Amino acid sequence: MNTTKKRWLPLLAAIMLVSLVLSACGSKESGSGAEGTAEKPVELIWYTIGTPQKDVNAVMEEVSKYTAEKIGVTVKMTMVDWGDYAQKLQVATASGEPIDMMFTSSWAFDYVQNARKGAFMEIDELLPKYGQGIVDALDPAFLEGSKVDGHNYGIPANKELPAQEVWRFNKQLLDKYKLGTEGIYSLDSLEPLLKTIKENEPDVYPLAVDKNQAPYVPYDYVIEKLPMAVSLKDSGLKVVNVLETPEMKAALNTMHKYYKAGYIPTEAASLDSLTDVQATGKWFMDRATSQPFADNLWSASYGYPVVSTPASEALIYNWSVMGSMQAISANSKYPEKAMEFLNLLNTDPVLRNMVDSGIEGTHYEMVGDNVMKNLDNSKNYDMPTFSLGNLFITHLNETDPADKWEGFKTFNDAGVEAPLLGFNFDTSKVTTEIAAVQNVKEEFWAALMTGTVDPEEYLTRANDKFKAAGLDKIIEEAQRQIDEWKASK
Amino acid sequence: MAVSALTKRSRDFQQLTPAWNVLFNLFAGIFAFLCVFPFLFVAVISFTDEKSLARNGYRLIPEQWSFDAYRYIFKAGDQLLRSYGVTILITVIGTAIGVVSIALFAYAISRKSFKYRNFFAFFAFFTMLFNGGLVPTYIVVTQLLGMKDTLWALILPLAVNAFYIMIMRTFFSTMVPDAIIESGKIDGAGEFGIFFKLVLPLSLPGLATISLFSVLGYWNDWFNALLYIDDPNLVPLQSMLMRIENSMQFILQNAQNASISTGLLQSMPQDTSRMAMVVLATLPIIFAYPFFQRYFVQGLTIGAVKE
Amino acid sequence: MKDIGRNKMMLLMVLPATLWFIFFSYLPMAGMVIAFKEYRYSRDGFLASILESKWVGLQNFKFLFSTNDAYIITRNTVLYNAVFIVLGLALAVLMAIVLSEIVNKRLAKLYQTGMFLPYFLSWVIVGYFAFSFLSVDRGMVNQIFAWLGFDPVSWYTNPAYWPVIIVVVFLWKSVGYNSVVYLAAIMGIDKSLYEAAMIDGANKWQQIRNITIPMLTPLMTILTLLAIGKIFYADFGLFYQVPRDSGSLYPVTNVIDTYVYRGLKTTGEIGMSTAAGLYQSFIGFILVITSNAVVRRFNKDNALF
Repeated sequence: MNTTKKRWLPLLAAIMLVSLVLSACGSKESGSGAEGTAEKPVELIWYTIGTPQKDVNAVMEEVSKYTAEKIGVTVKMTMVDWGDYAQKLQVATASGEPIDMMFTSSWAFDYVQNARKGAFMEIDELLPKYGQGIVDALDPAFLEGSKVDGHNYGIPANKELPAQEVWRFNKQLLDKYKLGTEGIYSLDSLEPLLKTIKENEPDVYPLAVDKNQAPYVPYDYVIEKLPMAVSLKDSGLKVVNVLETPEMKAALNTMHKYYKAGYIPTEAASLDSLTDVQATGKWFMDRATSQPFADNLWSASYGYPVVSTPASEALIYNWSVMGSMQAISANSKYPEKAMEFLNLLNTDPVLRNMVDSGIEGTHYEMVGDNVMKNLDNSKNYDMPTFSLGNLFITHLNETDPADKWEGFKTFNDAGVEAPLLGFNFDTSKVTTEIAAVQNVKEEFWAALMTGTVDPEEYLTRANDKFKAAGLDKIIEEAQRQIDEWKASK
Repeated sequence: MAVSALTKRSRDFQQLTPAWNVLFNLFAGIFAFLCVFPFLFVAVISFTDEKSLARNGYRLIPEQWSFDAYRYIFKAGDQLLRSYGVTILITVIGTAIGVVSIALFAYAISRKSFKYRNFFAFFAFFTMLFNGGLVPTYIVVTQLLGMKDTLWALILPLAVNAFYIMIMRTFFSTMVPDAIIESGKIDGAGEFGIFFKLVLPLSLPGLATISLFSVLGYWNDWFNALLYIDDPNLVPLQSMLMRIENSMQFILQNAQNASISTGLLQSMPQDTSRMAMVVLATLPIIFAYPFFQRYFVQGLTIGAVKE
Repeated sequence: MKDIGRNKMMLLMVLPATLWFIFFSYLPMAGMVIAFKEYRYSRDGFLASILESKWVGLQNFKFLFSTNDAYIITRNTVLYNAVFIVLGLALAVLMAIVLSEIVNKRLAKLYQTGMFLPYFLSWVIVGYFAFSFLSVDRGMVNQIFAWLGFDPVSWYTNPAYWPVIIVVVFLWKSVGYNSVVYLAAIMGIDKSLYEAAMIDGANKWQQIRNITIPMLTPLMTILTLLAIGKIFYADFGLFYQVPRDSGSLYPVTNVIDTYVYRGLKTTGEIGMSTAAGLYQSFIGFILVITSNAVVRRFNKDNALF
């Protein structure tokens, strides 16, 4: 054993060395100069999220003809399905895969996290130079809110800017019991309605809650769903443990009361989703994040009328600003061209609609000035519109209200900036604590937030464990960074 | 006469007594039933009407039968057939390459006359525990070997496996008597000749086992395709299935997101469709199963006594 | 001279798989260095990224030991695996012997095929079925309980039941697959051994005890040694999907792999996940080397190397 060991150790070391050298060779390629004209366009590789569509290549061929002429680029788009996107792009960026542009957001392939790791190119200079159209089109809050350590790394899609929580109601049941939604706003105000439903409809979930939900409290979270937050009313920006705030305590008590009264599904804390009751209509109300005209979309997708009423103000959070972005890869060979393309995508209706709806006459046809109708072939090119850039220049569908985008603009203008808009926590000094705190959070969060357990008992337990895991240290670090950020503003 | 008497008596002696036989049958049968049961459920659900599934939950006899799930999948049409083709191709080629390399390696380290047998055994074993992780492997496959978006990226990373080597080595060292190898040498056969003509036929159960494992490994693999394949024409079956599965979970977990809840939930595949996909992905392999099974279930126990 | 020639042929035999190991295992192993780095991407590719990233010593390992959870996850991982190794081995061998002895081979084949089916169900789907059995309101088990007059049980919030459920689900899913190896080994046993035993008047049980089991011992030893190497690794799906990630069950379902997954969700540090893997492998490696040495002392032929 001993003698063999001596013999193979150097071999192993040699192999590792070779591997390092070899992996270095693979990545060195030189960029070139006189390309990027209509005659000699450059190819941009674009990764974006969504179920891969059959006709992507066909559409991108058309897109490329158009963009080659306009800005001297062609486009190769690769779609990666929803559930795989984050993982695939994580590996691809970490290993320096050649990519020019990619989708990123607060909820898939995390924008802030990957910007810090160096996956994206900083665009502070490229943006005004090649992307002025984007700057003009976007509400300034978009670019302000998506800054990471003071720099921009991605281009937010022009869409709904603030996030507004609403109570959604199954209108059939509202009508059946002649219930009104006036005066409904706080969690406590729901009680009479829930009671009526519980008494009369034993098969219906009065308040449909699953494990992903938490009661709304007027706080801005430092990291979403970790319990550090700043009160919306506190201009001093003091970071607190949200579980120790009076608002959260009151909300959890109410949730627990509702749970005990049977308003909330017994197994809310382990339910991934409630799509089955949404399909059958066996729910009365729930809470959701809204956007203009959402009621129409919900009603259409469930097949019965859904109405909603506000449950919070419309606030502009970091995560709502980063709901959908396109970033340029740090290793892009043609960052200027990529920026030009993104600029065109966000300002040119022809390109934007081609990318979104496909080829006119094949996938859709125009039935009005700005109104289109999907043709049968659109099933081969069905793209998630919100993920691909400026919404406000896309065609309307026949079912859309004519003033759809005006509605969005009004909604955006009315949005109020959340206190931490533009601040993104740098976790690198507290990664160990975050890992521990995250585990504590997962252990207690769903049970507490759905009202399944008694907050009197479990809040103390959770807070003790959070402290032991180092929550205070994270809060301290966050406070330090926030103070610095505030001073620099 | 004497021979047949012996055969008869020995067969009786060989066999379990009827009481034990019944007990063994019950034991294996009940366990097998418990294993088949959920699968039956999967099949039934795949033929259930989506609405009645949402209303009643899982039921063995659904309120309303429906072929919608299969219709939904077959809408993809050629994509499905293509994926079947890719899966079968990589399974066949991969298993062939893998089993040959594994058997050769395992045989060598099973031979006491091989001076470096312990070094190579360790060399293989070490890889079972330590690996560099996703990113370095990805770089080797895509940048060093340049296999991105090729079938090789689906075949080679799964071809060899130290676990199978260790199993196969044990089969060789317990099933192949040294005397046979010696006799081969006396007959003047080379090492490869001995291996192919004398050793392999004796190790058929072992070969069948690792071939089966290898086939299953390829058949069920989806992760390599997730990493290395962008071209929809090269996506194997399980990868297609897992992609839909993962995306469904992801979308549900992000249902609070306004853009997702308003835009995507409706176009999502339904519960019944994913069950149908499980059925479609499993059936072919169940039909191929008996081919391997005859090497390790039927055996030669009864016949051997007569000789 | 003859000796070298023979080794040459043998070296030729190991060549293909050796090349494979170099490319697909040993080359990527260089990446383990990430475990000691705060990995940041460089635009010049992977090598540059590694070189330019900051050394952080053992910082990336710290999160595995920083809280009381460290004890719980280690205990859970090791204990479950120990039970899996022992019961898994016993049941797989038992099932192989039972199947090999059943008189009607057609039935034996049928059973054996059936046992294989769970292997094809992903943990996600197994999780759905577990839920359809164990759900409080609609679960089959509670419906049966109600019918029998028992109180319904809230399965997903009560940790007491889960050690048993986890073990049962594991065995259910793995026995069919694991018994194949032993079944094949039984088929490969030289029949003359049984003949000789019969002539000596040994009955069935004596044959099983004195021939079948000893002939399976090398395989059992090897497979157990290999399983010991993985004792710090847990099957993620079994501990995450099947209990539906229910927080109240963490005291008995949180294992190293789930802990790492949850802990790195926010930061996604590759360095930390690599560190976790290295730690798991390293402990496993030590354990295998030790147990292999013990095995060698008893029987050199049964050892791994």
